[in-house]
Amino acid sequence: MLVSLNWLREFVPYEGEVQALGDKLTMLGLELDGIVDPFAPVKDVVVGRVVECEEHPESDHLHVCTVDVGGPETLGIVCGAPNVAKGQTVPVAMVGTTMPDGLVIKKAKLRGVKSCGMICSERELGFSEDHEGIWVLGDDLKVGDKLVDALGLERVVFDFDITPNRADCLSILGFARETALAFDLPLTLPRLNLVESGGDVNEQITIRIDDPELCPLYNARIIRDVTTKKGPDWMRFKLLALGQRPISNIVDCTNYIMFELGQPLHSFDYDRIAGKTIRVAPASDGMKFTTLDGTERTLTGADLLIWDGDKPVGLAGVMGGLNSEMSAEARNVLLEAAVFRPGTIRKTARRLALPSDASYRFERGVDQVMNRFCIDRAAQLMSETSGGKVVAGVASNEPRPWKDRVHGYRHDRCMRLLGLDLEKDFAKRVFEGEGCAVDDTNPDNWSVSSPSHRLDLEREVDLYEEVGRVYGLDRIPAVLPKVAKALEGGVADSEYGFIRSIKLWGAGVGLNEAINYSFVGDEDLDRLQLPFDGRVHIANPLSEDQNVMRTHLAPGLLNTLKYNMAHGNGHIRVFEVAKRFFADAESETETRERLGLGILLYGPRHAADWPWGAADVDYLDIKGHVEHLVRNHLKLSEPEFELAKDHAFLEPCVEVRIDGALAGLVGKVKAEMADFYHARKDVWLAELDLDVLKGLSEAHAIRFAPLPVFPPSRRDVTVIGPATLTAGAIRKVIEGAGVDILESVELVAEYVPEGKQEERNLSFRLTYRSATKTLKDKQVDKEHQRVLEALQAKLPVHF
Amino acid sequence: MNDALKSFLEGLDGLAQDCESRKGQACSLKELEELRIEFLGRKGKLAKAMTELGALDNADKPAGGKKANEVKQRITELMDQMEAELTAAETGRVLSRFDPTMPGRKPWAGSLHPVTLVMQEITSVLAGLGFEYVAGPEVENDWHNFEALNIPPEHPARDMQDTLYVSDKIVLRTHTSGMQVRSMLKKQPPIAVIAPGKVYRRDSDLTHTPMFHQIEGLLVDRNVSMGDLRGTLTVFVRQIFGAGTNVRFRPSFFPFTEPSAEVDISCVMCGGKGHQKDGSPCRVCKGTGWVEILGCGMVDPNVFKCVGYDPEQYTGFAFGLGIERVAMLKYGIGDLRMFFENDVRFLEQFA
Repeated sequence: MLVSLNWLREFVPYEGEVQALGDKLTMLGLELDGIVDPFAPVKDVVVGRVVECEEHPESDHLHVCTVDVGGPETLGIVCGAPNVAKGQTVPVAMVGTTMPDGLVIKKAKLRGVKSCGMICSERELGFSEDHEGIWVLGDDLKVGDKLVDALGLERVVFDFDITPNRADCLSILGFARETALAFDLPLTLPRLNLVESGGDVNEQITIRIDDPELCPLYNARIIRDVTTKKGPDWMRFKLLALGQRPISNIVDCTNYIMFELGQPLHSFDYDRIAGKTIRVAPASDGMKFTTLDGTERTLTGADLLIWDGDKPVGLAGVMGGLNSEMSAEARNVLLEAAVFRPGTIRKTARRLALPSDASYRFERGVDQVMNRFCIDRAAQLMSETSGGKVVAGVASNEPRPWKDRVHGYRHDRCMRLLGLDLEKDFAKRVFEGEGCAVDDTNPDNWSVSSPSHRLDLEREVDLYEEVGRVYGLDRIPAVLPKVAKALEGGVADSEYGFIRSIKLWGAGVGLNEAINYSFVGDEDLDRLQLPFDGRVHIANPLSEDQNVMRTHLAPGLLNTLKYNMAHGNGHIRVFEVAKRFFADAESETETRERLGLGILLYGPRHAADWPWGAADVDYLDIKGHVEHLVRNHLKLSEPEFELAKDHAFLEPCVEVRIDGALAGLVGKVKAEMADFYHARKDVWLAELDLDVLKGLSEAHAIRFAPLPVFPPSRRDVTVIGPATLTAGAIRKVIEGAGVDILESVELVAEYVPEGKQEERNLSFRLTYRSATKTLKDKQVDKEHQRVLEALQAKLPVHF
Repeated sequence: MNDALKSFLEGLDGLAQDCESRKGQACSLKELEELRIEFLGRKGKLAKAMTELGALDNADKPAGGKKANEVKQRITELMDQMEAELTAAETGRVLSRFDPTMPGRKPWAGSLHPVTLVMQEITSVLAGLGFEYVAGPEVENDWHNFEALNIPPEHPARDMQDTLYVSDKIVLRTHTSGMQVRSMLKKQPPIAVIAPGKVYRRDSDLTHTPMFHQIEGLLVDRNVSMGDLRGTLTVFVRQIFGAGTNVRFRPSFFPFTEPSAEVDISCVMCGGKGHQKDGSPCRVCKGTGWVEILGCGMVDPNVFKCVGYDPEQYTGFAFGLGIERVAMLKYGIGDLRMFFENDVRFLEQFA
């Protein structure tokens, strides 16, 4: 909301510092965003007088002017405007001036004649679209003055952020009220000087309202014999200062009142209103209506229309109709000042993407009591600026007259809520200063009626806020809450605690934590050939590549890979802890959310070759991370890794099972898919279900095992078998051989004999130990032999 | 002294001198070992000399034996001395090749995302004050996200947050405030919870990302006041940004709190002065000396009604703040988008 300082001062005599006003209002909840000089783009333009004006000898339309700009010497300026003439007072941009469009005025030679400056049109200065000729100013302006000073243009405009509750502050008047309250200044409304010229408006127009809920009040006036033309300078300049482009005297008057008093108005061409009737009634589904911007719009039964005797003529509170627009030739104005149901206006403006200054105010609520003053003042201004005559009377239909809202106010309770200790008188001064009527007959529970412009004062607690706001929330003493709170026992580690522990593990084992958006594009999921069913789509995505919630962490992590590849980072080891989303009709949010952990490894195992040796990450790296997490961090059972066939995007794909439960997948991204992410090497991924891991870890208790007392005895065996035989299968046979004293089995070496690619040698170290005695070599040899026999019996191996 | 004894003793002396003279001869421990064997070995020179001891007269034997011991001791000393010198030289040689500046064999270095780091710091301060963690869905229904928070459909307050919809009634949560509702529905006061998590808005430009992180705090009891809110936030802000940080409460509006306030802190960049050392305006606070950091207020009675609390009995406060904003201030990160690009050169800077 832009607020002009001079306009504000017409209501309230604030003479203090500009910044101080902004600061004070900020602390009252009207946040100052900035202070601007609206006419800064023309600040260097000066007032000049054309003292000589002759025809250019070499041109049939150029003039050679001698212009007095108050300096010791006159300027020679070549001017092409048809209306330039000797004796005119004009705006002059001298050499060196930057024009609003960025053009810098330089010395020039036009057909052989030197020109030192430019005489400007209104359009060149951004004051209107008028480019018929130069802007001829009043002769009373002092030559040599800056144009902005000579015209008394506004130099200070505040830009305030208005919260949605403060509809009353969407006008100069609203800010004047707050300023008066803040600085204890008197507030003066503009004096009404409306001259009515006979007739009876009620014979010329009838207002009908179908549903009082949708339109509690509709006032209308008629102004006859208007002349549509450019609005007066004072009005145009004030609108320009607020960034509002002047249009015509009629439109400017309605805009002027909206900015000044907060009531949006609309002007119909009275002669195009059929049947001397205005009717406020909803549209019907599928109805077409052309608004005055020339666009045909399809309406619904929820839109509210203004109708005449036989057709819709306006989209209530949003935009007028093309069929009743005030044209330049229109003679008679039907002026509307109404109150509409805020939600209805908002819905229509949103659905049609037609936000306007008017709908913005209607959807926040306008002052019903002030309405009559607004239409009267608008009619007065319209009559004054257009020469029109105001028909006597107001055609009014108010099916829901404004009712004062009365709220209780308990000062003690207010003080307890705010943490303050103020005199009752202070609260009373605040309320009365804001225009409330206070009845304190009951000292413990006052009756406070809030004024019609403060739609936000709906309840007792809203009054508390006013007391706090005016006293200053920043002056409330800080104390720490004393809360009696039962200490709760037996609460399991929160989800947050579990997540934190997983993240610390990730960082601890050398992974970088990434955070990707929870949404990706359908394309991302399709590329990985993930099922379409079960996806949670966003109905109004910002873009198609953010239109669906992730069902896997992989797409996000792969995007991370892609981004890093594009930025020359070829050594990636990242993890992410985030939700995965699946459609679920059973859920109250229609969505099932599963917490996941994703790990992506790519490129060299170590950042530099030395001293580790150069090698790229492989399956054992990604698997090792999973094993470390499950066994070493969470202390769960040894996970099992089983090859899974035909996975959508991983090949090989290995399922991770813990105590039989599927906990996730590990694998290599299929080469053709990895290509898309600019991968030049293998991309290894793990994706684990943290909800499963959390459940398992909650059920798991750590048990201490006594340390061994007797020494171990070790035997190594190299198992020679086909390359297709897995280490896991061999281990399973060893462990399943029924040897009680076998404590552990470790793989210690892998060797593929040269020229025998189909064969593989795996060396295992078997540790034997008894809990009750020192083992004798002979006994160990015997048991070891049993293991070897079992291997040979069950597998195609030899030693 | 008879000749035999004399010659025996001279022989021993000669042995000692011989050994002494060859002191510099052994250049390595191996050569020294050879030398040791030559003199002290079972078939060495000393052993050989000693065979003559038996030929001496019995009366000379003590003197001869004594001398022999002396010489043996002397040679042993010499050998030890040489060994010590050689060992020292060897150690010196090894040490001289030791290069302490060679790069170390580092384990992989991991990192936590700056959002996680800030979240952790904030939650631990609040947990220390007695707040409990709660978590809930990121895809939320309209009721929890809006209606129960006093934001009915068609209310202009919905414009404050551009919403991503899944369907008419399901949204991506626009704030963590819905967790206030979920927490209060679960239990009766007193209640003191924090809800950290991801939130979503339909907004993407230089200063907005469609996903970001918030933390919500809620405390409800009898007689909770705005002074309590101010005290809690002051403690919290000072722990995060430093003891000298000032806090400013500015009236504002949120549908689910009344009164509502925005909290500014004195600018972390210029210390609240509003200008840099050279006098130019501070670019972080744009010269105001204050930076907006969070929104807060007293829980609106309508919210209490929605969850079945009696607003006449209970009061409470709520606050919510954006984590990325804090991280930007704390670490001096200028570009919000970097948080979600996951450039490893960015990630590696945080540990």
